[in-house]
Amino acid sequence: MTAILIADDDEDIRDLVAFKLEAAGFDVTAVDNGLAALSEARVSPPDLVVLDVMMPGLSGIDVCRQLRAERSTAHLPIILLTARAQEGDVQVGFGAGADDYVVKPFSPKELVSRVEAVLARARA
Amino acid sequence: MTLADAARLAILALLVAACVFGLLTIGSRFVRRARERRRTRLAAPARRMLLALAAGDDDPDLVERLAAVEPQVWNAVEPAAVAMLGKVRGEAHAALVMVFVRRGAGERARRDLHRWGAVRRARAAEVLGNLGARNAVGDLCALLQDPDPDVRVVAARALGRIGDPTAAERLLHSVAGRRGVPPQLVAHALIKLGIAAQGEVVAALESRHDIVRAAAVEALGLIGAAGTAHEVERRLREDTSFEVRMRAVRALGRLGSRAALQPLIDASNDDLPVPLRAEAAEALGDLGSPAAAAHLGTLLCDPNYRVAHNAARALLKLGKKGFATLNEVAARPDIGAVPDRSAAHALEALAIAALEEERRAHAAAPVREPDPPAEAPATSSLWEAVSSGRRFSP
Repeated sequence: MTAILIADDDEDIRDLVAFKLEAAGFDVTAVDNGLAALSEARVSPPDLVVLDVMMPGLSGIDVCRQLRAERSTAHLPIILLTARAQEGDVQVGFGAGADDYVVKPFSPKELVSRVEAVLARARA
Repeated sequence: MTLADAARLAILALLVAACVFGLLTIGSRFVRRARERRRTRLAAPARRMLLALAAGDDDPDLVERLAAVEPQVWNAVEPAAVAMLGKVRGEAHAALVMVFVRRGAGERARRDLHRWGAVRRARAAEVLGNLGARNAVGDLCALLQDPDPDVRVVAARALGRIGDPTAAERLLHSVAGRRGVPPQLVAHALIKLGIAAQGEVVAALESRHDIVRAAAVEALGLIGAAGTAHEVERRLREDTSFEVRMRAVRALGRLGSRAALQPLIDASNDDLPVPLRAEAAEALGDLGSPAAAAHLGTLLCDPNYRVAHNAARALLKLGKKGFATLNEVAARPDIGAVPDRSAAHALEALAIAALEEERRAHAAAPVREPDPPAEAPATSSLWEAVSSGRRFSP
């Protein structure tokens, strides 16, 4: 089963994304901060990571950069899920190595489609 | 009573007070935790339904079932429902709105707009914005003059979220006066109203209030109303307010229209105030037209640092033609003992571009090899490369 790691400090969004992705047939692990996401990805690398950008401590952008910089996690597809919709924010997200950028408010159905598309690209 | 007795009594009283305070703290924590546990327990079955609904589950009964839950269960799950309402869109948002409407949340929120407490009024405005309640636009417009500044801010945001263009005029005029809403916030609300609000925004360019005209000009740039470039250009040429002219320059850059090129070039003429010229140089970069490269190249030797600096940064945004101009100026030899300032600006911009490129390449690199032993810092090698005449391209 395809494993997905979600990191979001907002419990409602975390539960919602986990619920939707589980319903779509993915095996989901959810954490509430950047550090936990980093250690979870190092211990058991998932097939894809969904990161919130604004988290206490380590931001999603920092986690993204760290994952890209390490041999064991550099290949992981990463989707940033964030309320920061300014042009500059999107640029920073892609600059940090994200594969896709989803802005809140988001459509859960669209998120699943994006997850599937990014996974398909990564496997191609 | 002796002094020692009085001291003993005071210490005893302090101990009793400390014990009572401690017990009260522990008690209140216990009560709060018990209340949270009860709320979580109550909310659990409804939360599952809420997640399914917000996730866009196609079960048609979900709305009915969630709308029919007991009031105390709804009270427990409502905060999560309100939070999700603002964070999802599409079918999931529409389904959540239906639940709120069925439970009468819209009517309740409209009543709460007139409550005495500012927090309740703000919360009600937030709910109405999230529900996209077009029937509350009039009430929310009235709230733009609320005595509480936070309520005014929430009302402006809610109007943006509802997206009814009839609110544009009231939003624009809300920036003026003693109870003004921050213009930047109004501009962002107007963006959400989209191109349908363009007529109202253009009309506001004739307002007698400088701040309203400034907000209108900024909003046109942010909306991307390319068809209004001539109106904005007229403000740049004729407006009596310097602030409006500055924002007109910024807006012309954002509009990205061919019609904005010449007015921006004219706005950088050396007979105009320096802040306006510097802004015009920056806006030429935002405009992104390669046709501006030659003019920006001449601005590199402007005696004013900000104008020349902004021109160099703007050239970076013009793609190949901008880089070619920068490389050409950077390679220019110094005249006598006087260093060429334009070359220095060009070199700085190229170095920044090179650093940015290196940062991007580093972020995109799949694997980082272990750091090599002592090596010259990347920045100095880049500087050497730039100074030695290496040519950079985007």
